[in-house]
Amino acid sequence: MTPNTPRQILESSLVALLFASLGFGGVWYGAGISMPDLASRHGAGIDAMMNYLLLTVGVLFLTGYVALAILIWRGARRRAIGARLASRRTELTLSGALGVGMALIAEGGVLAIGIPVWAEYFDPSPPADAVVVEVTAQQFMWNVRYPGPDGVFGRTRPDLIDDATNPVGVDRADPAAADDVFTINEITVPVNRTVRVRLHSKDVIHSFFLPHLRVKQDAVPGMTPEAIFVPTREGTFEIACAELCGLAHYRMRGFFNVVSQQEYESWLRDQGTP
Amino acid sequence: MSTAALPDAGHADLGFVRRYIFSTDHKVIGIQYIITGLVMALVGVALALLIRLQLGWPDHQWTLLSTLFPAGYAGGVMTPEFYLAVVTMHGTIMVFFFISYVLVSGFGNYLVPLQVGARDMAFPFLNMLSYWIAFLSALVLIASFFVEGGAAAAGWTAYPPLSAIAAAVPGSQLGQTLWLLSMALFIASFTMSGLNIVATVFSVRAPGMSMGRLPLTVWSYFIASILGLLAFPPLTAAAVMLLLDRHAGTSFFLPGGLVVGNQLLSTSGGSPLLWQHLFWFLGHPEVYVLILPALGIACDILPAFTRKPVFGYRISVWCLVAVGVLSMIVWGHHMFVSGMSPFTGEYFSLVTLTITVPMTIFGVNMLASLWGGTIRMRVPMMFALSVIALFGSGGFGGLFLGNATADMQLHDTYFVVGHFHMMIGGVTLMATFAAIYYWFPKMFGRTMNEALGKAHFWGTFGPFFIIFFMQHFVGLEGAPRRYYAFTSFDYLQHTRGTNLAISISAMVLIAAQALFFVNFCWSLVAGRRALPNPWHATTLEWTTASPPPYGNFADREPVVHRWAYEYGVEAPEGDFADQTVPPRSVPVTV
Amino acid sequence: MSIAATHPDAAERGDLVRLGLWIFLGTVTMLFAAFTSAYVVRRSGADWQPVWLPPVLWVNTAVLLGSSLALEAARRLGLSQRVASAGSAYLIALALGIAFLAGQVVAWRQLVAAGIYLPTNPSSSFFFMLTGAHAVHVVAAVGVIAWGTVVTWTVGSRDAVRWNTTTDVCCLFSHFLFGVWLYLLALVSFS
Repeated sequence: MTPNTPRQILESSLVALLFASLGFGGVWYGAGISMPDLASRHGAGIDAMMNYLLLTVGVLFLTGYVALAILIWRGARRRAIGARLASRRTELTLSGALGVGMALIAEGGVLAIGIPVWAEYFDPSPPADAVVVEVTAQQFMWNVRYPGPDGVFGRTRPDLIDDATNPVGVDRADPAAADDVFTINEITVPVNRTVRVRLHSKDVIHSFFLPHLRVKQDAVPGMTPEAIFVPTREGTFEIACAELCGLAHYRMRGFFNVVSQQEYESWLRDQGTP
Repeated sequence: MSTAALPDAGHADLGFVRRYIFSTDHKVIGIQYIITGLVMALVGVALALLIRLQLGWPDHQWTLLSTLFPAGYAGGVMTPEFYLAVVTMHGTIMVFFFISYVLVSGFGNYLVPLQVGARDMAFPFLNMLSYWIAFLSALVLIASFFVEGGAAAAGWTAYPPLSAIAAAVPGSQLGQTLWLLSMALFIASFTMSGLNIVATVFSVRAPGMSMGRLPLTVWSYFIASILGLLAFPPLTAAAVMLLLDRHAGTSFFLPGGLVVGNQLLSTSGGSPLLWQHLFWFLGHPEVYVLILPALGIACDILPAFTRKPVFGYRISVWCLVAVGVLSMIVWGHHMFVSGMSPFTGEYFSLVTLTITVPMTIFGVNMLASLWGGTIRMRVPMMFALSVIALFGSGGFGGLFLGNATADMQLHDTYFVVGHFHMMIGGVTLMATFAAIYYWFPKMFGRTMNEALGKAHFWGTFGPFFIIFFMQHFVGLEGAPRRYYAFTSFDYLQHTRGTNLAISISAMVLIAAQALFFVNFCWSLVAGRRALPNPWHATTLEWTTASPPPYGNFADREPVVHRWAYEYGVEAPEGDFADQTVPPRSVPVTV
Repeated sequence: MSIAATHPDAAERGDLVRLGLWIFLGTVTMLFAAFTSAYVVRRSGADWQPVWLPPVLWVNTAVLLGSSLALEAARRLGLSQRVASAGSAYLIALALGIAFLAGQVVAWRQLVAAGIYLPTNPSSSFFFMLTGAHAVHVVAAVGVIAWGTVVTWTVGSRDAVRWNTTTDVCCLFSHFLFGVWLYLLALVSFS
């Protein structure tokens, strides 16, 4: 093939500049993006993981694009082949170094930061005084239930479900159900206490997503997964559905209110049966 | 291996139909797949445009669109049900009917026999059958747009119960059934095609073509095909079970106590998670089935434009094998928040992260292939370089998503959308373009227009990168995927500007593809005649005419004496020796 | 180009066809592996009641075995040049293959007569689905045996290599499906 004409060298240089500018531009753009303001304890671990990855990946990303740009820039101007074939040793050394490097960064770094977070989030023995809330997702709302002063949820049966009068199918005959507190799309909890959200779904898979609290758990029909976490900041945080569930998936919005212990207790009292 | 003279002299007497429609010639079949895939791409791209119009301008009234799609645009505004059908079909078409048809079945069929030095695939009749079943599969899928309830709308992942219960979303009426039938046909077609590729690479290589002399392209198709053959059956099984749940009253995936439309259903005991396990058992290897050929092709195009061998050939082969094997045991990383046991989640994290090792080595090998080379910036090279760039960028996202901890925040957000578009929409798309520009002269005996090709590159790479790079960050900001609009949430209001920018870039990107289509169609009829080896490349397809004659290699089968990367040598042909050049002319490296 | 054109040597062609079949059987194995994993998961559910297995299934098993044995006999007869007898063995294999399918239909109808339908309970769903999937493959096998029968009667004595390939394919496919059948029987029996 014929060597590069000046025009083709110019085109190559533009390609190199394209890659270089995307590399720098990407890092500059990414550095300006932030996640929703943190509001949970385990979330600090998740954010630490994110920051570790953003930093590491940012460096590798920029290095990669700059290397690509330089190789193209220089390669376009080279008239004769520098080295025809890299030696087997070079190939193996590079691969070995990369393999070890990525293993450390990926497996090592990620798991070292990640496993403790995962372990905390899935702690098999949460504190006994955790606030337990039952959330039954349906198309397209979050039905919320508290156990009330007796601390026991009333029995439910699917055949008792009626969207208008009894959305979660509570068995009114069960005495434990008498003091259950019901809301729709609203959860109120005290700050700095463990919250256990017990998830159900009536129809299709939904996903309980609290972006500010770094909580996400699918609500799967036929299962009762739990999301256990500690809110660390007062405020009202939005709940979003994070698993395609039908037409109004995009507006299945709820409110997660984190208040002080006193406010929580007085709110709960106000919900009592009149 | 056979050394017979050119057989089947009666081929010239075959009519137009037997030569170009119901042909058993792998080259014709490959081109048929490519054309079909490109047509389906037009549909997929149109759907993408509709998505971006909605997300960029959520409250806008579209008079033209509501004339074209009266059911989908009630009162000028896109309906959520139409949006979900568009999203579902966009994903399904792009993955299975564009990239898989063009890159895997199309170029796989075209290139593998030529590059191993065979006259055709192992089972030519089966090959023809595979194409026509693929064609039927595409027709069935397109038909689903026109049935009551519209096309499937449960995402390309079709999770039950949403996909199993007709009342859950309109697309889960007949549309979802047709989707499942289309997939069943697709899998049958792919099995035939994959079987052909594996058997051909095993048994139909030319004399001297040892496995260690195969071009990386052939290795990648070989491994991808084995992967597909092993991974698709669970989706077949799952599809059968979902069809039975939908139409025969069974409860494979449906638990008891389901209340839809205020009606209690009679299902009991099934598990939605079972579908997810079976689907992703295919779903994850599937993305490697798509990306491996892209990487192999890029590795073979680069040397022609750097005039030196690819870096680390044997190590790269081992990386492909390792990725193939590992890809079959990591599927659970799509299910970290699904309700699966956290210990299972940790296992899948651990194994998923190991894939970074062979993939990084492979990616850096591609980059290192540029080292010391003299770079010829032609259109195929521009797209091959894009493969490297996007492979790295998109691959990094895998670090975030592959570990359970970060994934908790990022699962089902736009981070995932950005990641897989960069990989499947990016790496594979750039490789597809590189392949078309590179092999067009060989396939059609004509050259594509260089200026249009370069303009296509400039209109494609930049916008593509911007769109999907930004989407990673929209996901970091917490925007969930498959949302018809972001207008309902306070915390997402500030993403409006980003979505607008993405939509505008998308329109530039889509418009630039017109350059490609015009170039492709025009060059087919009026392109300059091509030489047999315009790129001075070494693989076997370049040793024969453009386009190759019936039987690929005229009256004598090639005899292979060296590997596919004899570049930068002093040889009679120039600075390279193709694979058939005997040792006495040019010293053999491998 | 046809296989005959690209591989004029019949022995080579035979090896290629055998390879293709092995690869295909790998895919079929994965299909039944997937069904198995679904079955194992479901079987651990609280509402599992094993399905009644109609005794005719044992008859069908013997019939399917007979079909495979008949094909083996055909192969050995063909190797010792007794083409006419091989042809008869083929016909027996074909008849028994069809008889198996008929027997499966009988089994399904017996279940239905006992009030056990596809959606009745999880184990009945799996039974019908597993036996149905197996039967679909047996239909294909019957088609292959029919083709083998035709080849025997037309070119059997003249083209020994080609005939060997055909018969090997029929044997391998049938034995494989018999193996799958035994496996499925064991799977649904031990629950």
